[in-house]
Amino acid sequence: MSPELLYLVVGATIWAVGLGGLLLVHHMLRRVIAVNLMGSGVFLVLVALAARSSPPDPVLQALVVTGLVVAISATAFAVRLASARAQHSSGTPEVERPGGDES
Amino acid sequence: MNYALASLAIPFTVALLTLLLQRRSEANPIVPAITVLATAVSLVFAGLALETQAVSGAVSHLNVGGWDSPLAIRLRLTPLKALLLGFVALIHLLTGLYAWRAKPKIARDYWPLSALLHTSLAALILSADIFNLYVTLELLSLSAVALVCLSGPKAYTPALYYLLLSLGASLCYLMGVAVIYGQYGVLDMTVLAGIMEADHSTRFALLLMTAGLMLKGALWPLHLWLPEAHTYAPTPVSALLSGLVVKGPLFILWQLWNNLAPEALAREMGPLFAAGGVVALVSGGWSAFRAPFIKTLVAYSTVAQLGYALMGLGLLLFLQERIYAVALWLFVLAHGLAKVSMFLAAGEMQTLLGSKRVTAMRGATQTIPITMSAFAIAGISLIGMPPTGGFLAKWSLLEPLFTQANHWPWASGVLLGTFVSAAYVFRAIALGFYQAPMSREPRHFDRVSQWLALLPALLVGLMAFAGQDLIAWMAGVTQT
Repeated sequence: MSPELLYLVVGATIWAVGLGGLLLVHHMLRRVIAVNLMGSGVFLVLVALAARSSPPDPVLQALVVTGLVVAISATAFAVRLASARAQHSSGTPEVERPGGDES
Repeated sequence: MNYALASLAIPFTVALLTLLLQRRSEANPIVPAITVLATAVSLVFAGLALETQAVSGAVSHLNVGGWDSPLAIRLRLTPLKALLLGFVALIHLLTGLYAWRAKPKIARDYWPLSALLHTSLAALILSADIFNLYVTLELLSLSAVALVCLSGPKAYTPALYYLLLSLGASLCYLMGVAVIYGQYGVLDMTVLAGIMEADHSTRFALLLMTAGLMLKGALWPLHLWLPEAHTYAPTPVSALLSGLVVKGPLFILWQLWNNLAPEALAREMGPLFAAGGVVALVSGGWSAFRAPFIKTLVAYSTVAQLGYALMGLGLLLFLQERIYAVALWLFVLAHGLAKVSMFLAAGEMQTLLGSKRVTAMRGATQTIPITMSAFAIAGISLIGMPPTGGFLAKWSLLEPLFTQANHWPWASGVLLGTFVSAAYVFRAIALGFYQAPMSREPRHFDRVSQWLALLPALLVGLMAFAGQDLIAWMAGVTQT
């Protein structure tokens, strides 16, 4: 297995794990982390695709840099919103969705 | 192209300017005036762009910063894009005017955030690059979620769900972009349109992007976040979210399947979209019918109405007839105007009647006739009865279906949707005609904001008088 292919597979797996976490986990902070995992997975795939050619494709690296900027601002906003929500709803950050499902 | 760029740059400048102006004082009274005025100017520029574009029928391109492909960020202007730019500016103008008058006063952060929302929508419309579209999608979601948060702590939970789901959706879309770039090495939509093939990885990429866009656009079955977010948002924000924000991802979805996807794949996907549309119409309509609160009713009706748009898209892909593109975009225009009117009317009713419940509308035709007319006219357009824009849209969807006998399942789907829409709209309107309870006199009576709620409804009513000309003109506009 070539290193690029390995990185591609790992990236796709991380992305899928993140997606699963976003859909299945209910703790808000963990969901924020799950979204970040998805982002890291996509970025790994992009970088692995860039490494297929030599020198590496600059377009894909530019995309990753742009994506990182978007990801960090979105994460900052999500964390702030989650903490504001936790403060306003009876203290604990682990509040379940009202009337939500269990799993 | 220059006019369109002006229409994009003006709200952006205003967003930054209003942020600076508000830094010191608590609420700067000039800020709403500046924002509304700038939106009006942006609308004029979008109109000029539409005029030049529609007259010449031309498509213009711009490579930002003079960079060439593949590093270039390309902007593209077609008549339809110019029309949508104008539509976005018009809806922002109408809601901005209402927010200016609104009592109780809207949070001061509304002004820079709504200008940012306007900017990101304009950028989304003009972008012709699938990665740049990802960036504009994120901008759109971030400003939309921030706007939802304006109604205070009670909105934090729906806002957070909305944010997390739409971030996940963006990353699904981005994964699709990565797969496409990995295969074709191109991000530009116009180039991609010629070279995409109907193989497995293309199909996988398109499905990933579609799932992300459908979640962001609240298209059935990925609509579950919408009703709460739209209900808890402040009234002008609900109007913007329902009228515009969900249409952004829909526009990308349309470009993806109509322009990029190979015809074989598009034909495969068409029936699924159309069937999803029918289910959305019925299930969304049923939830609206059962909704206890006025704003929840209006929010679920957005889920249902997006079903029409999804049906238009599905039938366009499946049957490959241009008239469905006309139907789709007429729906977007008519629904945007009607929904703004309906949400503003719902907000007015909450303030004037002092209750959020649908049952509080009892006797509203006597106590608040103007607001009630806004609600009723908008509702009639949502059902698709003449003489409204909603009727035109539905007629262009139904007419070609009636001419061929084997399309009867789709035609009956549209009719079933009409029936359900009529049920939830008339449930509310009928309450308005009951005898008004004597004790409930409206408290503060602001005639201007009532008329502002009625204005979009009147516009959607006027669309019907253009009738056949409008359909013919839209057929030309949606060509490219």
